[in-house]
Amino acid sequence: MASEIWTEKYRPSKFEEVVGQDNTVKKVQSLTNSLNIPHLLFAGPAGTGKSTLALITVKELFGKNWHENYLELNASDERGINVVREKVKNFARTKSIGNVPFKIIFLDEADALTPEAQQALRRTMENYSATCRFVLSCNYSSKIIDPIQSRCAIFRFKLLEKKDIEKIIRKIEGGEKLTISPDALELIYEGSEGDCRRCINILQSTASISPSINYELVSTIISNAKPKDIHVVLDYAISGDFQKAKEKLLDVMLKESISGQDVIKSIQKEIWNLPVEPEIKVKLTEKTGEAEFRIVEGSDPFIQLQSLLASFVLAGLGK
Amino acid sequence: MSEKAINWTEKYRPGNFSEVEGQEQAVFLLKDFLKKFFSGGNKAVIIHGPPGTGKTSLAFAAANENKAELFELNASDLRDREKLREILRPATEQKSLTKKNKIILVDEVDGISETDKGGLLELLALAESSAYPLVITANDIWDRKFTALRKKSDMIQLKEIDYKTIKNIMISILRKEKKFLDMDILTNISVKARGDLRAAINDLQTASGMQKPEEIIFDERNKELDIFSALRMIFKGKPTESMLQLFDSVNMPIDEIMLWIEENIPAEYSGEELARAINALSRVDIFKKRIYRQQYWRFLIYENALLSYGISSAKKNASQKTGFTNYKKPTRILKIWLNNQRTEQKKSIASKYSQHVHIGEKRAMREFPMIKPFLLNPEIQKELRLSEEEVEYLQK
Repeated sequence: MASEIWTEKYRPSKFEEVVGQDNTVKKVQSLTNSLNIPHLLFAGPAGTGKSTLALITVKELFGKNWHENYLELNASDERGINVVREKVKNFARTKSIGNVPFKIIFLDEADALTPEAQQALRRTMENYSATCRFVLSCNYSSKIIDPIQSRCAIFRFKLLEKKDIEKIIRKIEGGEKLTISPDALELIYEGSEGDCRRCINILQSTASISPSINYELVSTIISNAKPKDIHVVLDYAISGDFQKAKEKLLDVMLKESISGQDVIKSIQKEIWNLPVEPEIKVKLTEKTGEAEFRIVEGSDPFIQLQSLLASFVLAGLGK
Repeated sequence: MSEKAINWTEKYRPGNFSEVEGQEQAVFLLKDFLKKFFSGGNKAVIIHGPPGTGKTSLAFAAANENKAELFELNASDLRDREKLREILRPATEQKSLTKKNKIILVDEVDGISETDKGGLLELLALAESSAYPLVITANDIWDRKFTALRKKSDMIQLKEIDYKTIKNIMISILRKEKKFLDMDILTNISVKARGDLRAAINDLQTASGMQKPEEIIFDERNKELDIFSALRMIFKGKPTESMLQLFDSVNMPIDEIMLWIEENIPAEYSGEELARAINALSRVDIFKKRIYRQQYWRFLIYENALLSYGISSAKKNASQKTGFTNYKKPTRILKIWLNNQRTEQKKSIASKYSQHVHIGEKRAMREFPMIKPFLLNPEIQKELRLSEEEVEYLQK
C-alpha cells in the first residue's frame, strides 16, 4: 500500500530518482552493482537523502527480500551502545537470504554516540564484518572517531539547491493536483533550509488546508510551527519582569518540548530585534554564547537559561 | 521561692489571647476552632511549628480565656495505653460531674514512636470522640504516622517569630524587671534565636544576671535547620564563613536544596543582585555536572560554597535584608511531571511516525509542529495505526 505521507510516497526508490547528489549517487550505485560494498559513512545535513540512499541500496541488493536483510537503528533513540550491540548481535546471527553474502545495518545519527560508545561500535563492526555491512549516517563526519572513519568509505551529501527543491515540489504538485504560486514556492524553499524532508512536510501541511497554495498559506503554516513564544519571554525580561519571563520560558520549553540549545538558537536570533543599544546587543550575544557553552558543560539547561534571562533584565535597564 | 529562681519563660507566659504576640493568625484560628467545637466542628486541633514559637502558650491562653481547666498529657503518658484510658476517659466522659470546662492538651506529640500503635490509636480515637476540645502540639506533624490524625483535626501552623517581635518582647520584659541591657546585645540575642522566643528569653535572663553582659556572645543552638531557615539565612543574612557548613544541618539532598534556591531567588533579588545570584547558581550546576562526569567528589566543596556563600554574597555590599519573605516550594519538577503526562500521547505518535518514515524519535518530536496539520488526515491516522487516545490528542 502506498503511503499517504508524502515524504514516504515520494521517496525515491531508484538511484536515478535521487535529486541533487549526483556524484555520491553514482559512486554508491557502482559499488552496489558490483556487489562489492565496504562499510559506508554518509555525512551531510538532515533531509539530503542519506536514509533514502541506504534504502535504495538495500532494495537494489536484495529485491523484495530486503526487509529480512536490513536493520535500521537510530543512535539517538537507542538507550546506549549495549542496546545497539544486542540488536546487531541478534540480527547478524542468521545468514543473509539470496545471493548477497552479507546483510546491511543502517545506523542513523551515529554522531549522537559518545566517542567511548563509538569505540565499542568499532569492535562490533569488526566482529560481524563477515556477515554484515554497516552504513552509518551522521551530520558531521568530524564527530565520528578516526578508527571508524578509516574503516568506511565516506560519502558526503550537500544541502539541496533551489533547483533541486523546485524539482521535487513540481513533481508533488503534479502528483497531488495542486497549484502552487511562484512566491509560495520561493517561501517553501526558504522555509525548508535545503532540507528535503522539511520541504515536503511544509508542502503537505499547507495542502491539507487547501490544494491551491499561495504565499500567505505557507507563511501561516511555517510561523505556526515555529516556537514563537521566545520573544515573549525576552519581552518580559527586557521589561524587568524576571519571574514572568522564567515561568513563560519553562512553559514554552515543556509545551513545545524544545531543548535548551534550541532556545539559545532562537534567543540569539531575537537579540537583533530588541529595542536596545548596539553595544548592548553585542554584550548580550556574548552572554548568549557563554550560556550555550555552559549548557554544554552543565547539567541543567534551565538554570543556565535563567542566568541568561537575568542578563536580559539588566540589558533592559541599559546595563 | 526567691524571685531569681523563677524562670522568665514561665513568668511571662501569656495569660490570655491578647498577650500572645507575633501569632495573630494562629490566635484567630484557635478561637475559631473553640467556637465551632460544640457546633459539630472537629474535636481536635493540631498546633504545630518550630520550638519556642508559642504552641503550649496558646493552649494555656485558650484555657484561661474559656475559664477551663487544662488537662495536660505528655508523650510518655500516651505511650501507655492503659494509663491513657484511665486518665482520659474520665476526663471526657464525666462531664456531668464536674461543672468546670476542660481543655485537653497533648503536648509534643512527635514523641510517639511509630511502633507505638496503641498510643497513636488511642489518640486518634480521642480526636474523634472527645467531649472536650483536644489541643495537640507538635514540632513536625508531616510524618506519615500522623496522616490519619491530620485528617481528623484542625491545623494551625505557627511560624517562627521574627527577630523584631522577639526584641520588642525582650524590651518589655526588661522594663518589667527594671533591668537594662545594651541594644546590641538584644539584637544579637534576638537574631541568634532564629525565631525561638523561649530560647531568646532564656538567653535574656542569663545575660541580665551577668556582671558584664556585653562580653557574652551566645553560641547558637545547634539544631537541625529546616529549609526555610536555611533560605532565610542565605537570602537575608550577611555572608559569613560559617555559612559554608550551613547545608550540613539541613536534612535535604543538595540537589533538592538547589531547586529551592532556584525557585526563590527572584523573590529576594532583582537587577544586578539577581544576575549575580543566578550566575552563582549556574556555576554550581556546572560543578554538579563535573562531579557526575568525572566522579570527582571534591568538587562538592565548590558546589556547596557557591550555593551558600555565593548566593548570599550576591546582595549589594554584602549587606543584610529585612522583611518577611514567604518562600515557595520548588514547582519545576511538578510541572515537568505534569507535562510529561500530557506529552505521553505526543511521544507515542511521534514514535509511530518516526518508524514509518525512517527517522529518529527525537527528530520526529522536533518536527511535530510541522507535521501535525497533515496528521489530522484520517487516512494517515489509519496508516500509522494511531489509537483513539492519540487521535483525540491531535484533535485537541
